[in-house]
Amino acid sequence: MSDTSLTTLPPGASARKRINGIDVFMWALRCAVAAIAIFGAVATLLQGRYSLAQWFDFAMFGLTLGSVYALIALGYTMVYGVLRMINFAHGDITMTGAFAGYFVASGVSRNGLLATHPVLAIVAIFAVAMATCIAVALATERFAYRPFRNSPGQAPLICAIGVSFVLEQTVRGMFGSGVKSYPLTTWHDAVINVAGLRVPVVNLFVMGCAISAMVILYLIVHRTRMGMAMRAVSEDKAAAALMGVDVDRVVVFAFALGGAMAGVASVCYALIYQQVHFFMGFAPGIKAFGAAVLGGIGSIPGAMIGGMFLGLIEAVGPALFLDGLGITAPYQLRDAIGFLVLLMVLIFRPQGLFGEAMAKKRA
Amino acid sequence: MTLAGQIFRSALAGATAYLAFSVAASADAEEVRIAPGAPIVIGGYWVLSGGDAALGNDQKRGVELAIKDLNGTILNHPVRLLAEDSQCSAEGGQTAATKLASNPAVVGVIGPSCSSEATAAAPILWNAGLVSIGTSATAPSLTAPDRKADYTGFLRTVFSDADQGPADAKWIHDELKAKTVVTIHDGSPYTQQLTAEMAKTFTGLGGKVASQEAVAPTDVDMRPLLARIATEKPDAIYVPIFVPATAQILKQAKQTPGLENVAFIGGGGTMSPDIIDAAGDAVVGFYGAFPDVTPEAQGKDYPKLLKSYQDEYGEAPTSGFVANAYDALTLLKMALEKSAKTESDGTVVVDKKALHDALFTIKFSGMSGEISCTKDGQCSAFKPGIYRYENADRSTFAIGTNPKKIYP
Repeated sequence: MSDTSLTTLPPGASARKRINGIDVFMWALRCAVAAIAIFGAVATLLQGRYSLAQWFDFAMFGLTLGSVYALIALGYTMVYGVLRMINFAHGDITMTGAFAGYFVASGVSRNGLLATHPVLAIVAIFAVAMATCIAVALATERFAYRPFRNSPGQAPLICAIGVSFVLEQTVRGMFGSGVKSYPLTTWHDAVINVAGLRVPVVNLFVMGCAISAMVILYLIVHRTRMGMAMRAVSEDKAAAALMGVDVDRVVVFAFALGGAMAGVASVCYALIYQQVHFFMGFAPGIKAFGAAVLGGIGSIPGAMIGGMFLGLIEAVGPALFLDGLGITAPYQLRDAIGFLVLLMVLIFRPQGLFGEAMAKKRA
Repeated sequence: MTLAGQIFRSALAGATAYLAFSVAASADAEEVRIAPGAPIVIGGYWVLSGGDAALGNDQKRGVELAIKDLNGTILNHPVRLLAEDSQCSAEGGQTAATKLASNPAVVGVIGPSCSSEATAAAPILWNAGLVSIGTSATAPSLTAPDRKADYTGFLRTVFSDADQGPADAKWIHDELKAKTVVTIHDGSPYTQQLTAEMAKTFTGLGGKVASQEAVAPTDVDMRPLLARIATEKPDAIYVPIFVPATAQILKQAKQTPGLENVAFIGGGGTMSPDIIDAAGDAVVGFYGAFPDVTPEAQGKDYPKLLKSYQDEYGEAPTSGFVANAYDALTLLKMALEKSAKTESDGTVVVDKKALHDALFTIKFSGMSGEISCTKDGQCSAFKPGIYRYENADRSTFAIGTNPKKIYP
């Protein structure tokens, strides 16, 4: 697979030899965007419209949303790391978990369990959502991806896009196209006050979930036999198979881990935004994919940092960069800012924030 | 909307535009001949799926009830309603209109529900010679005196927001006694023009519009926006957008310091039980600025329509536009009767141009009130009203009781 890349020049090699028009343009673009961002940020801060507590709130919102992106991004990264394949249906796998969680949540909310035994209820919601996501992820792998694993070209990618549509339309057909409201947990509106700053408990909970999920995943990949097998398959599938690694088992394990992450992400998402909808997986899926690329796809800390970073930019960016420039309705441009920053980072570091260390290790 | 979604949408728009050109050549016959026994085909397009489905389905039912009251026939021909789902988006409207325009049997079109649909679809239909009668598309530009010639074929049996915005501003200023407001639109023509009209009048009345914000209809994280709005300390927030985004705003406002007790005023896009499902308990206290559609403000036969709706579908109307949709069909029927020619063997010949001209000469007292069209296609007058949601149980939804009419 890397035969062709050995014969071509590595990117950047030609740039060192001579400067061409494109390099000049790219540098001008970087400087222009950086100048606009700095000018906007300084102008906003000079205006003093937002207090410190409000900036803290923005950052909290961003990190919470970023945690959800990060959890979904971990699923992309797991599968990419092992199979070198982008599982575009991952966002929709997350959506199936949210629906499964919704049915449990509305059940326990109606019979009062959510109020009397909140911990038990939450554990049940998580368990069902994760089990559903794992089951859907494994079924997807077995029936849609495995038959194409050794086929050349973009067949698996196209297949993944197809799976995404199948999942969306199946859920739409089964449960309707309306928006469903997720029941409120009793501690949803609870707030901890730290030195005058308000920290909603649910935000801490979601961030805690994301960080512990990442740590667990990291330990699995780096400290267990199965993790070693995953890393072996990631480096060279054929050689790993010759060394006695069961590649199918490793792939199934990677999808199961990715599915479990999607399950956690789906419940976290629903806890914060309290809506489930058949199309809800699409936008976070695309953004989490962006986050995984931003962090360096295939890297676990990369997915985490990428997700947090993207969430933070989306929440803080419009107020910080655009308010000072006098742009009205800055929040309409939130996605544009998020993806622009993604592009800028990739222009500076095509391999993503954490991509290089891994590439070096492989070489 | 995400980047990939936008690329996909623009590709789709390109493809449908191409389709529209290719069919325009084949389906621009100036008359439709309906052989004896063949049905008169009336096209329809509304949002029939997604978060705003209740809005469109309700209007489709209004047309169905009108057809039923005609015993299913116009000019002794059975009537067939060909309804398309246009998904409350410009792309959906374009696709639906292209399908209807390419069907040579369609004599006229009723719908749509959303102004974004109408903005894209009405020109495609009119270029194929088809009139369309909007049933809840209320953007002022659609029947403005300076509208483009492409929109000549568009009329509506529903009010124009040109009146809605100023009326809302007056209520917020005079009755709610708010001094400072913030408006939020979602980038669609309906919400953008509505918030602009309301802000203009509110400023004119001496109030202060602290800022005019915007969200994307698919946004879920509204807290940064709400935190920003909270710094402006508004007394009221005017947010006449659609169900999913409104629900997020209502829920997240409850958790935003400074906004817990601020009045939120929505518009026609959230006058459906879907908002109760989507917003849950947060819907209680939410105002709806919407024309007075309670029975006392409608035409004299409106109670009959309500009853036949209940009998036919087993529930009360889910949006306020059933009567408008009913009147659209009546208007089209009367214009057909006036303009179409019946030949000796029973063949009905509908001249599309004559049908269009006839629509402007019709006057009648309809289910929604008096119907008579101005030369710009505005056939219905505006009656302001304000409602408030009192209960978060979907089954209690009935315009007038929950949300309860509180003004006038």
